[in-house]
Amino acid sequence: MTPAPTTTAPGSCAASVRDGLVGSLALVPSVFVYGTVFGGLAVQAGLTAAQVLGMSLLVFAGASQFVAVPMLAAGAPALAIVVTTYVVNMRHYLMAATLAPSFRGFRRGWLALIAHLINDESFAVTVARSRPPDACVYLGSAAAICGAFVAGVAVGVALGGLVERPERYGLDFAFPAVFLSLVAVQLRRSSDWLVAIAAAVLAVMLALVLPGNWHIVVAGLVVSVVAAVLLALDDTETSGEAEA
Amino acid sequence: MRGDVWLVIAGMAVATYLTRAPMFLALARRPLPPRVRLWLRLVPLAVLPALAVPLVLVRDGRLALGWTNPALWGAAVVFVLAARGVNLLASVAIAVGVVALLRALA
Repeated sequence: MTPAPTTTAPGSCAASVRDGLVGSLALVPSVFVYGTVFGGLAVQAGLTAAQVLGMSLLVFAGASQFVAVPMLAAGAPALAIVVTTYVVNMRHYLMAATLAPSFRGFRRGWLALIAHLINDESFAVTVARSRPPDACVYLGSAAAICGAFVAGVAVGVALGGLVERPERYGLDFAFPAVFLSLVAVQLRRSSDWLVAIAAAVLAVMLALVLPGNWHIVVAGLVVSVVAAVLLALDDTETSGEAEA
Repeated sequence: MRGDVWLVIAGMAVATYLTRAPMFLALARRPLPPRVRLWLRLVPLAVLPALAVPLVLVRDGRLALGWTNPALWGAAVVFVLAARGVNLLASVAIAVGVVALLRALA
């Protein structure tokens, strides 16, 4: 990895922030709708408006929030939900490690706040633009994505209360559908298929015997660890930079 | 709804912050070891099916593999559409529609 510039002049940072913001506008509609769907479904699952918005601001990680809502509704143990959230979000370690060197020179208080805004979309936009990633571009993108998501959730919360008997419209199925669509777009190599199928089979077997939704974490960790030990490394791992 | 929702949200917030902040605040120039990078890439690939497939195939603690299970058809639809590059939200919306239709017909 080449060393990043330690600090950026304030003037050029404003331009880069705008770059990141404009560069993320193409993603704003889908992030907004994703938030709307989440807000609507979460309200229908029985969460209050304050809880849905609170979760979106404090956790700010869409996939794991989608995971938590049906678990909350099904009465899963609090610890199982929190541990599952952690495992679903472990991918942040990769993004944080790739972004970190670009933020040298920022005050620690700001870093602690900016860390909370790490998200898949802004990471993809920033890394696609330059290597090493530009901190100011990242900030602009994070502002756009964060704003779109929270605004979407707020609209979803307002709309969600309008639908009665959501299962009549198949809306409960939106949760597994979101997860399956996220898997489908990640399957690039044949080993990816192997990992996904092994995890699915183990999870189904465990779900039939384990109480409290622990099958998700157990199957997810066991299969990913075994695969990481057994599979051959390829370019993306050895190059030392996360893929977008 | 249960009484510990805010407690769960607080726990989720802390757990998620722990996935973001440590590496970010370390400002490390040294990349993660390759095996760890591979593992972190594989975790969502294993967790998401582990999450989704039991939601589709397990009903009330029993395996529901019959072709009369609407969720099974919905799962096939969303998977194929998303894999073919159809917009994620459109894929989900179509699959939800299929499940609603099959339930209405049943």
